[in-house]
Amino acid sequence: MSDTVSRLHQEAEEAKRVWTPRVKDITQDFTTASNKLEGGQLVKDEWFTLFESVGALEIMDPKMDSGYVPPDDTFEADFDPVRPLDLPEVLWVIDQIHSLEILWHAGYPLSQTVFTSLHMDRILDPQQPRMPSLYLHAADKEVNAALTEEQSLGHALLTAYCVAVAKCCALVVELVQSQNYYEEEDFVTHMFGRELLPRVSLEEALELVDAATSRLRKSKTVDAEMKEALQQRMIFRTTFLCALADGGDESRWERMVGLLGRIKTSHEIAKPLPEAFSEKVQRQLATSTPPRPMLTTSWDEACKKWTKMIEDVVAVNRLTDINIVQSPASLQRAMWAFSYRGEPFALPRAIIQDCLFGDQAIRGQIPQYDLLLADIRDLVLAGDPIADPASFQVEVTTDPRHICSRLMEGFMDKAIEEYLNFYRMVCQNRCRIRRLFTQSIAILDAMEMEAMKVDRELIKSSPGLKLNDPKSGRAVSLSPLSSWAKFYRLRILAWTIQLGFETEIYLPYELAGMYWFLSRLSEQRNDLIQQVLLFTVGRAKRLGKDRNALADCLLSEQYLQSLHAMYEITRLLAEALWKLFTLLTSTGVVKKPKQDFTTQQLLYEARMKPYLCLTNDTVPSADDFALATTQNASLEQTCTDIDDCIKSAKELLVKARKLTPEQAKFVGTDEEWKREVKGLEATCIAVTVACSQVRSAGKKYGEDHLAKRLECKIERRWAEWWVVPSVKVKADTKP
Amino acid sequence: MSGPGKDEAATLVEKPTAVDGLHYVNYGDQRESPYLSAIRQLISQDLSEPYSIYVYRYFLYQWPDLCFMALDKDENLIGVIVCKLEPHRGGPMRGYIAMLATRQQHRGQGIASALVRMAVEKMIAKDADEIALETEVDNEPSLRIYAHLGFIRTKRLHRYYLNGNTAFRLILYLKPGIPYKHTYPPEYGGPSDGGGLMDEDLVARQAAQLQLEDVEGETHDVTGGNTYR
Repeated sequence: MSDTVSRLHQEAEEAKRVWTPRVKDITQDFTTASNKLEGGQLVKDEWFTLFESVGALEIMDPKMDSGYVPPDDTFEADFDPVRPLDLPEVLWVIDQIHSLEILWHAGYPLSQTVFTSLHMDRILDPQQPRMPSLYLHAADKEVNAALTEEQSLGHALLTAYCVAVAKCCALVVELVQSQNYYEEEDFVTHMFGRELLPRVSLEEALELVDAATSRLRKSKTVDAEMKEALQQRMIFRTTFLCALADGGDESRWERMVGLLGRIKTSHEIAKPLPEAFSEKVQRQLATSTPPRPMLTTSWDEACKKWTKMIEDVVAVNRLTDINIVQSPASLQRAMWAFSYRGEPFALPRAIIQDCLFGDQAIRGQIPQYDLLLADIRDLVLAGDPIADPASFQVEVTTDPRHICSRLMEGFMDKAIEEYLNFYRMVCQNRCRIRRLFTQSIAILDAMEMEAMKVDRELIKSSPGLKLNDPKSGRAVSLSPLSSWAKFYRLRILAWTIQLGFETEIYLPYELAGMYWFLSRLSEQRNDLIQQVLLFTVGRAKRLGKDRNALADCLLSEQYLQSLHAMYEITRLLAEALWKLFTLLTSTGVVKKPKQDFTTQQLLYEARMKPYLCLTNDTVPSADDFALATTQNASLEQTCTDIDDCIKSAKELLVKARKLTPEQAKFVGTDEEWKREVKGLEATCIAVTVACSQVRSAGKKYGEDHLAKRLECKIERRWAEWWVVPSVKVKADTKP
Repeated sequence: MSGPGKDEAATLVEKPTAVDGLHYVNYGDQRESPYLSAIRQLISQDLSEPYSIYVYRYFLYQWPDLCFMALDKDENLIGVIVCKLEPHRGGPMRGYIAMLATRQQHRGQGIASALVRMAVEKMIAKDADEIALETEVDNEPSLRIYAHLGFIRTKRLHRYYLNGNTAFRLILYLKPGIPYKHTYPPEYGGPSDGGGLMDEDLVARQAAQLQLEDVEGETHDVTGGNTYR
């Protein structure tokens, strides 16, 4: 017994020893060590990196130290958030938080937006009581008791509103983080050491809003206009919160658009209370960034941004409609249509990704593998049992359908991730889309290699992949999967170039070469489509009575023909612009910089880096580029060639206008299709105009004097993906 | 880097003042030169938020020979360029132009251009394979200087700077065969992490925001640690 006591005692002593902080005077050690250094001598720690140097702050430097308080300033803001407020002031505070919140959605940190509200700051204070309804109560009970009915109502409304805003922000962060986005580029999830009321449940928040709103409704003293204005804001907040929480009811988002319109106009009766917001809040936030100003925006601008964001979410529902998601090509167009709604904010972008990728199924209905299979079928295997979902159910191991299905599955397993990225990448910001696709090229190249292997196996068990070429009479075989992979590789390669035009990656003197590359790619794409079409048409002829398969074949045929037409338009336009830019560069109208430190070969390698890895195609060499962009033909001949290209492109555009959504697979994005065709038509006209300017200036002044007489601006006014020269005679040129 | 500022600014309100006794000198081998505070002052004029002294020391302590200064007859600092040179992710020897600035009233006279030339020549002498930098997409004068030396734009970096502005990454290859050199993935996961970055990455990202580390290391994977897999 006594042993036990002494053992426990000893253990307790030991435990105490562990916990007792020991103080050691290191003054002497420090002095000795520092005496070995010269005054002002710098010592660099091996592990002191650039990151540390950037993260370092100089304490007491007002531009770096967010905790710095100037001598004549107070640490905290003067405004007391429990102070009684008039309802017009409450309305103004609510609207100001609403404005700052949308700036956060637009990509600014909470520290410069929502957190600068002293009411929000008070509500998020970790020292707050358990009951949210007490958040704005003063510590002094008499102060609370002295509030008028309206003031007390104002507090209740503001408390509920702030709590609901915090819950909305928490849900937004959760949604955005569940999908792909780029921190700081697209959105800032940083909380600066604060938490968004994790202990307050959604139900509690909603009850709080309901209770305050019903008090407001019952009030006999608040005038009707103010009552209506406050009520709209509370309803909007509840609707937003519920929509974020369960996402289920799509009509909620549509209702919000209407509410936002009414909120916008009722702002007039608010009474400004700017002192209820202060950037001094940043002094108490956990951050390594320097103090930054509180952001401001006009009420109109804030309302516009809010409406845009909510409308983008409404568009998500439209663009992922069941009719669209059943057609992979239509869905891909829909993703681009979404992306070109003026770069949606992070929230709508997360919601559309969630629609597509949540639950491993598109809109929770179409399994992702079905989407991929449908894509392969639509492009290369329409009407063929290999891509028929029923074939995947065949269990007889000797049945060719069974054998082919297993081969297909093996390939699809490898392809699915990158395939889904085609959709997801388009949901990123524009700069990222180009870079992500650039990185995709090598992966698709490898996928094509894999597909070739599977194709060789498929041909063994599938007679439908061979036919006699009507032209040569020789037996040829279709390589379905490698054709499919090549289709995407070429498509994405062309996209990276056109996105390069859009994001101004190329200098004017590079445009001739890049347009030549694009026209060459479009030619390759069309050769591929011709090859696939041959088999699709051949298959349709053989199918006979299988109506469904026949219908599939005919639809695919129409789709391939529409692709062919569009790629031919791209090829013709690219060729026209290649020739036009070659002419402009060779005559010196588009100037090439001196470039003292580089050579043709080095420039080529730097520009072509993403494409040099390709193994399944010969990438044009630096010499090829040089040759293609050398002006050989006469000015007159070149202009005639350009006009011919444009003439053919315009004829095809007339046909493109007549294509139906089912034929060209733009189901659900008719408007965007029309806009695209219109943009291409306008580009044609712009090229014709520029060409005729050059031609007439050439006649008038002579080819050798064009550089002096003409000025050229590079414009992207007509279509996002096309840069066109705008040429005119210089103003100071005397006739 | 090179700041979200205006090297050799386009906004020439008045005619540039010629510099009396303009001459160029190397920062020299002093670890902490008397010019440091003048350099700091000149650079921070172009920045929305200042760099700490350690950022300057980081570059100048390790690569003093890659810093050049333009001085007037009284040895006042008129312009400066600050660079580094080290292997890029185990691959090519990459030079990096971190900062470039010229005094407002002396812009438009080719001082910045001369400084860049000196730095590029020195990097070539030190066997650099390539040189990279970032500059704001609307900084025309800066873009012009680099275009004339042979730099091309390889990337557009959305909201790259702390002030929310977008940048171009510019590259100049100095030797053939650079694209074929092997590099390792970036130390910090960077964008490939998707779904928001971890704390550690936030730091890296922040450094990138200050344009201090290139963010070239993306991979194709935009799915990150997503739930759908």
